[in-house]
This record gives sequence, structure tokens and C-alpha cells, in this order.
Amino acid sequence: MNRWVSILVLSALASWARADEVFAKDIRPILQKYCYGCHGAEKQKGKLRLDTLNLNFDRGQSAERWHDALDQLNQGDMPPEDEPQLTAVEQAALTGWLTQRLKAAAEARRNTGGQGVMRRLTRYEYANTLRDLLGVKLDFAKDLPPEPASPDGFKNNGLALGMSAEQLEYYLAINRTALGKVIVEGDAPKVVKARVEKSSPIRRVKGVTGNTVVPGAQYLAKFDEFPREGTFRLRVHASAKVPKGAGLPRMRITIGVRADVQAPQETLVVADVKPGAQVLEFTGRIEDFPLPGHNPKYPGLLARITNEYDDGSGFIKRKPKKPKKGEKAPPPDPDLAKQPVIEITAVEFEGPLFEAWPPANHVALIGKPGEGNEESRAMTSLKRFMSRAYRRPVTPKETGAMFDLYRVIRKRSDSFEAAMRETLALVLATPDFLYLVEPAAAQRRALNDHELAARLSYFLWSTMPDATLTQLAEAGKLRAPKTLATQVDRMLADPRSGQFVEHFTDQWLNLSGISRVAVNPQFHPKFNDALKVDMRRETQLFFAEILRTDASALQFLVADFAMLNRDLAKHYDLPQSDWPAGVAFERVTLKGNGRRGGLLTQGGILLANSDGEQSHPIRRAVWLLDRVLGTPPAPPPPDVPELDGNSPELRNLSIRQQMEVHREKAACANCHRDIDPWGIAFEEYDAVGRWRENWRANPKAKPQPVDALAELADGTELTGIAGLKQHLLEHETDRFAAALTRKLLAYALGRSLEFSDDAAVSALTQRFEKGDYQLRALITGIVQSEDFLTK
Amino acid sequence: MANTFDLNRRTFLRGTGAALALPFMESLSHAKAAAELPRRMAFVYFPFGVALPKDGAPGSEWNWFPKAGKTAKDFQFRSVLKSLEPLRDEVTVMSGLSHPRCRGLGGHDTGDTWLTGHHLAAPTYSNTVSVDQLAAQHLGVSTRFPSLVLSSDGGVGEPTRSTTISFSRTGRPVPALASPKQIFAKLFGQTTDDQLARQRLNNTQSLLDLVLANSKSVRGKLGTRDQAKLDEYLDSVRDIEKRVEQSQRWLEIPKPRVEEKTLDLSATPKGPEEYIRVMYDLMYLAFQTDTTRLATYMIGQVAGATTIANSFPTAAGQQANWHGLAHGAGKKPEALGKFDQFLVAQLARFLTRLKDTREGDGTLLDRTMVLYGSSNSRTHNNNNYPLLLAGGRGLGLQHGQFQQYDAKTPFANVFVTMFDRMRLPIDRFADSTGGLDALVG
Repeated sequence: MNRWVSILVLSALASWARADEVFAKDIRPILQKYCYGCHGAEKQKGKLRLDTLNLNFDRGQSAERWHDALDQLNQGDMPPEDEPQLTAVEQAALTGWLTQRLKAAAEARRNTGGQGVMRRLTRYEYANTLRDLLGVKLDFAKDLPPEPASPDGFKNNGLALGMSAEQLEYYLAINRTALGKVIVEGDAPKVVKARVEKSSPIRRVKGVTGNTVVPGAQYLAKFDEFPREGTFRLRVHASAKVPKGAGLPRMRITIGVRADVQAPQETLVVADVKPGAQVLEFTGRIEDFPLPGHNPKYPGLLARITNEYDDGSGFIKRKPKKPKKGEKAPPPDPDLAKQPVIEITAVEFEGPLFEAWPPANHVALIGKPGEGNEESRAMTSLKRFMSRAYRRPVTPKETGAMFDLYRVIRKRSDSFEAAMRETLALVLATPDFLYLVEPAAAQRRALNDHELAARLSYFLWSTMPDATLTQLAEAGKLRAPKTLATQVDRMLADPRSGQFVEHFTDQWLNLSGISRVAVNPQFHPKFNDALKVDMRRETQLFFAEILRTDASALQFLVADFAMLNRDLAKHYDLPQSDWPAGVAFERVTLKGNGRRGGLLTQGGILLANSDGEQSHPIRRAVWLLDRVLGTPPAPPPPDVPELDGNSPELRNLSIRQQMEVHREKAACANCHRDIDPWGIAFEEYDAVGRWRENWRANPKAKPQPVDALAELADGTELTGIAGLKQHLLEHETDRFAAALTRKLLAYALGRSLEFSDDAAVSALTQRFEKGDYQLRALITGIVQSEDFLTK
Repeated sequence: MANTFDLNRRTFLRGTGAALALPFMESLSHAKAAAELPRRMAFVYFPFGVALPKDGAPGSEWNWFPKAGKTAKDFQFRSVLKSLEPLRDEVTVMSGLSHPRCRGLGGHDTGDTWLTGHHLAAPTYSNTVSVDQLAAQHLGVSTRFPSLVLSSDGGVGEPTRSTTISFSRTGRPVPALASPKQIFAKLFGQTTDDQLARQRLNNTQSLLDLVLANSKSVRGKLGTRDQAKLDEYLDSVRDIEKRVEQSQRWLEIPKPRVEEKTLDLSATPKGPEEYIRVMYDLMYLAFQTDTTRLATYMIGQVAGATTIANSFPTAAGQQANWHGLAHGAGKKPEALGKFDQFLVAQLARFLTRLKDTREGDGTLLDRTMVLYGSSNSRTHNNNNYPLLLAGGRGLGLQHGQFQQYDAKTPFANVFVTMFDRMRLPIDRFADSTGGLDALVG
């Protein structure tokens, strides 16, 4: 028996032994008193006999029956109304015991001895890899079905990542599209160059159009000729007029068809325009944008430039009236003078862009015509491509089989290029590309250097290894601890680490929740949905800043700075002198009242854990316990009704008082005593994350003072967010450090952690705490850990 | 090696496939002239149950079920279903039915089971085949697509909170399509280059052969859990193989021409009325053109706050989200009732379109059975599903009735009845005990 298995078995045996003692001492007497009468030796109502029901929760029907019993208890269906009822203490003991045993059994069933599973690339990893492998920047993930998160919140969990025929068909289709973009045929396409100066006059366009773009107005550039494929460049010659006290105008450029409100269009960019003449340059893939059909009713490609600056004065919604015939023009809107304006002098379009024909990425894949005969070119290409795609050296047998496939395909194809497109697209549909394959039997083994390089690059870059990692792996030098540390530093300094920051932050903190909450405009009339994007970015950039500056990770709890743009700073009600100039994010030093700083008070977190109308203390508490402190409460038992905030007896109570009512109900109290107080401490923030001193039950109700005084289950009193942050810093740093370590480790390994990981987690946590909570050191520690280096 | 590709078993199959193709296409063109017109089924699911106030209680007109009369035929629609009044003779409302095996599941966990009737058990919560996919296995070759699987959320979601109501032969969720544009392109998009498509199908088949051949040696090096993952991949490969074979035959036949302009393909779930309508429109067109004979549409899944459909009621002018409305329905049945009324109006529009379209001696609706309902009665209660079965009179269904069943009758009996009307040789499904005579009269 190997070491891992024996440790598991021993610890399982020990815990079963303890569990039996508890059962005999505390649980059986309760069952005897209340349950065995109807479900025992004499009667077996509902064909259920509890006194002989197997206590093995690990498998078989007995666990299901115990689960049913737990549900019945939680719902108050058992014991029946006319029978003696359990006291609150007995109820808590019995349901607590059942819950714990069921949870432990579920964990034991999932346990794998710390072996990850052959894991499919996530949709974003697949898309990034395709982009880096082929050198084409297209949104490849767009058409792939969305992916579920594992119970611990991660989307890169191998067990959760499934495969189906549909999925595989999508891969085939996307691969073919992608290869079609890279491997070209025929002569160089015609390059379209066009310049528009005066805003194009287009009929039936709503709103104000012209070269002077005030907030709410637009400039239109219509290009009669345009490519349907390839990279294009848009150059905007512009300047901004910024009145004193105003921010920079916020420019949005969309590309699409026609120009009225329903016109299909996609955003190319949102950017600041600064005072003074400037040329702003943006590139994109034309295929990512809606294009006019062939022979359309409204021909031409439209670039539309709008000014989205919104100072809350309502100016953006006011449309200047057109004077009727014979009337005088109305006087200019007095608010207009306060608005920043974009002045456009010209817009230039050029595309498709390429330095040479065939382009460099085409040559990199299949070489140039004349470099040997077709078959030798195919073989050379396959060798190089397959080892990059499979992230390892390939055997002659593997390339040989793929070469045979090429020959078959070549016979059916019109050209060498077409056959290569097909063959390479098919290479990218094999499990070797779609999965991180680390072949291993039950026996744990060290990863080889190529597997390690792949793990490392998907951990810190969410994409394939680069040439440096591959060379180190080929030389067998990667696994030396020092090399690993150097590589971690290099990789974190590389822009690709932005992909790690984005995906890890999103999944750790569940930021995708932000876009799922529908903000009710009746409750929050001033909230603009565009802010949701900024909020998500804020939290990601905050993580990036702590990582980049080697600051203490305790700043996640309490920080003296925030990453903000102008709209967020305004939303947070910071002093205007501290507002950044425009849409670009800046590091802002927080002064004064301590209402911001750290994750807990970031708008995205507060909004994602609300219901879009009111704050939601329970969601916020569960988020804190789960994501920040790593101790998620058990999910609510089925059939427990939610608090009905609209019922007459609750309608006029504050959330805190409502929750007190909630906790008076025995069925709820047991768990909610430990949950609710954490959420009450957030009550100083409304659903969209604004600070408040008063709250309203509905938009028309009278404001009532916020009550954010919380008492934790152990009696500790916290006043509001300040009290909560202080408590976390003084008493919960261990829990937080362990939680963050666990989350990072689970993400790095692409699997849920199990009890066999506990030792590794506690060693890493200790180092993390001793090293002043530096993320970089924690990441290095994870990469050097046995968990990461073995399968 | 090249020879193995040229002379493998599927090259042989392709040969026979081509030989089969002629009579197959002939049978298709003669089919309509002959007696045998298509038989179809659609399944439309909504989450969270309905309002069920007692008679006489305030708001009782918002009870989803009709007011029962002395006989099954003698019933009155109340507010929610009233838009079905003109279709009264095309509809049977059923109360009291549920999946017995699923009554003990969590209230939020039964969406997955609506069309499978399977008890979902920890830790895998694995499921079994759904009604539509089982039927698809039998009908497969007769249409371009064996089935159409739609939902407002799209994809598969996660076990017990799936965003699809269709499950494959092996109990895996079948990903649902959510984007009207994508659905349209799949059903009716005109491929200009059939030659290329055919080459690609052949190439895909060759790759699948290679992968399957390779998998044997790879598989041996893997641990059991990795093997399970590889098998999942290989199953997908085999499924595609079958589709490829089927698609090759369909390539000979052009896709029906459908004017894109007649549809609002830009609708998104942010505008539930337009969105739900276009989803129904796409199902209608798929049936009308005989592109498929089976469709499922999950209007919303049961995961509460995090789904797209949960915000439908707010977007449709209600004060709360769907989950909130459902929870409030005990005290305020009207709010949920009004939203259900809105949903039923969309259904009525779909049924009316089917009824207004001639087919053979009857209408499209006569040969299309539409089952509409939920897997909750009141919020979170997994019994007494609100259900209605519409259409299919030309297949022998009896309508214009309100049938009240008791808890002993498994919901799966409805499926058995439908299979029977589809002329499929399936006389048992999940825990069924037989057909329901009242439905066929």
C-alpha cells in the first residue's frame, strides 16, 4: 500500500471511531426518545427503520435514507405535530451530527489521494492557446458553451470540465476557422485605405451628429469599401476641450452596420481623449464586428464615435431641439459649457494589415512555397506544430500517423494549403491538445519537465508555455527550485500574467456575479450598468497592484489605496480633488474616513452579493465566510422558505430586525447565528455599493437609520465595516491566510483540495504569514511544492 | 497506414451509405404524398412552480389550474390560462402528476429530472436519458437534426442546476442553444460550398478513426479517473461519427429557405417577450420545414438568483425576480399569476401559429404534441406539477379536458402515452406504470 493511501485509511478509521463514540453518547439517546417509537423494532412507518439503519454514510442506500431524515427534521415534518418535539438543543445536536457526517462522507467519496484528473482546457485557456499558437487575435471562445464552476468556485477544475459531441463539434469548427485565418492562399488581398473628415451624413440617424461631439452626441464615419477579413487599424484625429472641473471626455468607438439605435455594432474601444490635438490608434479583427450583408439595404461600414461623459447633470439625456421652420434657434443649453467635448478632425481606416505576403504566421506554420516539395513541407510543419500544440516532444509514430492523415486529406483537397489547414485543425481536436495530459496510474509520480512547464504556464498565464519555458524543459533544468523561482518572477512580470490575475480574481471572489445582478432602476435611478465593467476591473487591478508591488496580502482586508477611474471615484463619493481624469484607472491614495480600501468595500463585491434592489446581508456574509475566510456555511436545507420581506409583519423592520426574526425560528437559528452577524456589518453599503446612513424599504418609503451593529456568535460586537475590518485584522488573519493559500493552490492544481492536502496547505500558509503575506512568495512556494510537482 | 484510411470499415459504410441514400431520399419525397406525415413533440419547461391559492381565498382567480366542473370537459380556465380559451379543444390540463422518485429531491433540484424522472443521487447526480433524446434515437435519420435543444441560459450548467432539460443516452446534459442567431444559422444557414462541407466530413471521419485507434495505447497508461475522462472524449467522438454519417446523407438535400427577416434574431433575454417569442418562432419553423421533429425549451432553470431567466419578470414589468415572485405567491398570488399569464400568452401564440398552418388534411398542431409545465407546484414542492398537453389531435389525442390525477399516477405515464402516439416502440419510461387512457379516449 502506498504512503498516501495508508495515511488516508488511517485518518478515516480514526475519524470513524470518534464518530461512533459521539453517536452512542449524544445521538442515539435522542433517536431513542423521539424516533425509534415509529421507526424502530416495533413499527417501521414509511418502511423506515432507524435503529438498525447502517451508520456507514460512505455508500449505499443508508446514506440516502439518513439524508431524507435530515431533510424531514430541517423542514419540521418530523416528529409529527402530535408527537413530542425535540428541544432546540437536541434538534441542533441531531441535525448538526447528520450534516457533518454526510459532508464528511461526501468528501471521502470525492477523495482521490491528491491526484488531479486529466483536465480539459477551459474555454479561455483554449482561446488563449489558439491565439498564441497561431498568432491570430480573434475572440475564439465566443461560440463555446459556458462552463460550470466547481463547488469551490473554480472553472479550471478537471473533474467539472466535461466533454460532449457538441463541444467537440464546436472545437472542430473553431479550429477550422482559425486555421483559415492563418494559412492563406492566392495573391495578397487588396488593402483598403480611407479617410473621412466631415461626419458622414446618414439619413434617419437618431441624436445629434457632427464633428463636435458633446456628451450624448456622435460622429459617424462611413466607409463604403472595407475588407471582410483580417486586422484593421482605425486612426482618430481628435482633440478635447475640457472645461475647468470636468473630467476627460469618454470616447466609445463602435464598428457596425447602419447607425440608428438598433444597428448591430460592437465596441472597439472606450478611451479617454486628452486636451490638444492627438492621433489615437486602435486595431481589431474585422470579423469580430457585425458587417453589412452582401448587397445590403444600408451599405457601408460605420465607425461611430460617441462621448459618454456623464457628470450626473442629466445633460447626456437632453436633446437640443431642432428649430422648426421659421423659428429662431433656441439658446444654447447652459449646462453645455460645463461639458467636455471631443472634436474630431478625421478618421482613417486601413485594412487588412500585413507586413508581407504570405504573412509571417503563415510562414511559421507551413513555410514558403519552394521550400522543398509538399510532402517534406508537410512533415516539417507537422513535427514543429504538433510538439507546440501538444506541449511536449512528439514521437515519430505520432507524426507519422498524422502525416498519413495529411496524405489522405491531400487527395481530397484542391491545394496543399487547404490540406494543411484541415490537417492542423484536426491536430487541434485531439485529446493531446484539448487536455493537459499527464499520464499516470494510481501511483503518484513526479511530473516530467514538459508537463511541469505546461502546468506553470496554465497557472500563471492561462496559455501555452513560451519558448523559454520549453527550452528549459528540453534541457531538463526547469524543476530546480531556483529556476522555478526565477521563472515565476519572469512570468509574473510578463503581460500574460494579466490573464492569471483576471481569471483567478474572478473565480476566487466570484466576480462574474456582478454582471448577473440586475440593478432595479426604481431603487437606484442613477446607477449606470457600464459601472459594472469598471467594478470588475477595479477588483482585478487591485489584486494586480498588490501582486506587482509585493505589498502585504492583508491589504485585501484593509488598504490605504484603491484602483479607480473617474466614474468609480464619483460613485464612491470620494472628494473631487482625488478623482482620476477619465476612464483610465489610477492608483488613488485613500484619505480620511476609512469607508473604502480593501476588497470588502469594493463596489463589485457589494453589488454581486446584493439582489439589485437591497443589500443582502446573508449573501455578503456567505461570500465573506466562503471566499475570504475559507469556511463556507453549509448550503440551506431544501424547502426552508426564504424570508418574505413583503409580509406585513416584516415589512417595516430593518434587515437586521428581520434577520433576528429569522433566527428565532429554530430551523434557521442553528446556522444563521453563525452567518448573519458578518453580513450586518456590511449594512452601511447599499445594493450598488454606495455608502449610506439611511436606508429605505422601497423607493417611496421613509428613510430609516442604518443599523450595522453586529454581534458574532461568540459575543464579539462589531460596529459596521470599520469594526469588521478591525476584527479581521486582529483575529482572523490566520483564517484568511489559510483560505487564500487554499484557493491559490486549488487553482494552481486545477482540482479541489482534499484532506490529504492539509499538511501542504498549513506549511504554505505558515511561510506565507512569516513572509509578510507576499503573494509572489506564496505563488513560488506553491510552484515548488510537492503537490505541484507531482501527479 | 494510408491504406488503412482508404479501406477502413467506414469507407465501406460510406459506400453502402451512398447506396442507401437513394431510396432514403426517395422515401422522403414520397413521404408527404403518402399517409405518413411527421409526428412531433415539443417540451417547454418553466421553473419555480405556480400560484395555487385555495378556492375562496383572496386572489383565487390566480390559481394556475382551471376551476373543475362536474366532468373533465366541464371546466373553466382562470386568469392565468385564459389566453388558451380559443384553443380549448386543443388542450388538456393535468393536475396531481409528478415524478414519484423526485419528490424527495431538493426543490431547486428537479429541473434536471422533468424529462428524465430519474432520482438524482450524490455525489455524481448522474442522470438518465430524457424523453426527447430517447425519441431522437428512434427518429434520428428522418430529419436533418435529430432534435433541437434550447434554453434561455444556454450551455449545460451544472448537475441539479442544468441549463438544459435534455440528457443524452448516457445521461449527460445536452448543451442548449440560447442565441437566436446561432439557432437560425444552425437550422437554416445556407452553406454555399457543399463540396467543402463534404470534404470536411470525410476529413473529420478520418481523424476520428485515428483518434480512436490511438486511444487504445494511450488509455493503458492512464489511471482509472483519467480513463473516465478519456472515455468521455471518446464517447463524444463516437457520437460525432454518427452525426457525420447522418450529415453526409443530408448534404445531398438543400436546407429549407427561410427568410431571416421574418424573425427578430437580435432578441436577447433582456427583452423576455421578444426573446421567448423568437425561440417559439424558431421551433415553429423547425417543425414547419421538417428540419427536426423534437424540440425542448427550458425557459428558465431553477438556480435562483444567478440565472438569466430569473430576471424575466422584472424585465416584463413585475416588481420582483422570478424566484422572489414564486416565494411571494403564497400571500400574493396575483404577481406570479400575472407573469404566468404572460408566459401562457406566448405559448398560446405558438400553438395558434401551429394551428394556422395547414399540413396534409389537418394542421401542423394536429401532428405536434406540446407538453408545457414545471417540476414544482408551489415553490419548491415537487408534486402536483402544473402541466398541460396541447396539440396532437391528428395523432389521436383527446382534448378540451381538465384531468385531475392523484399522487399514485406517475408523470412518466404521460410520456408513455406520447411515445405511443409517436408510434415509437417504447412502452416504459422511468417509473411509468402504463399510458393514460383519458388522453387518448
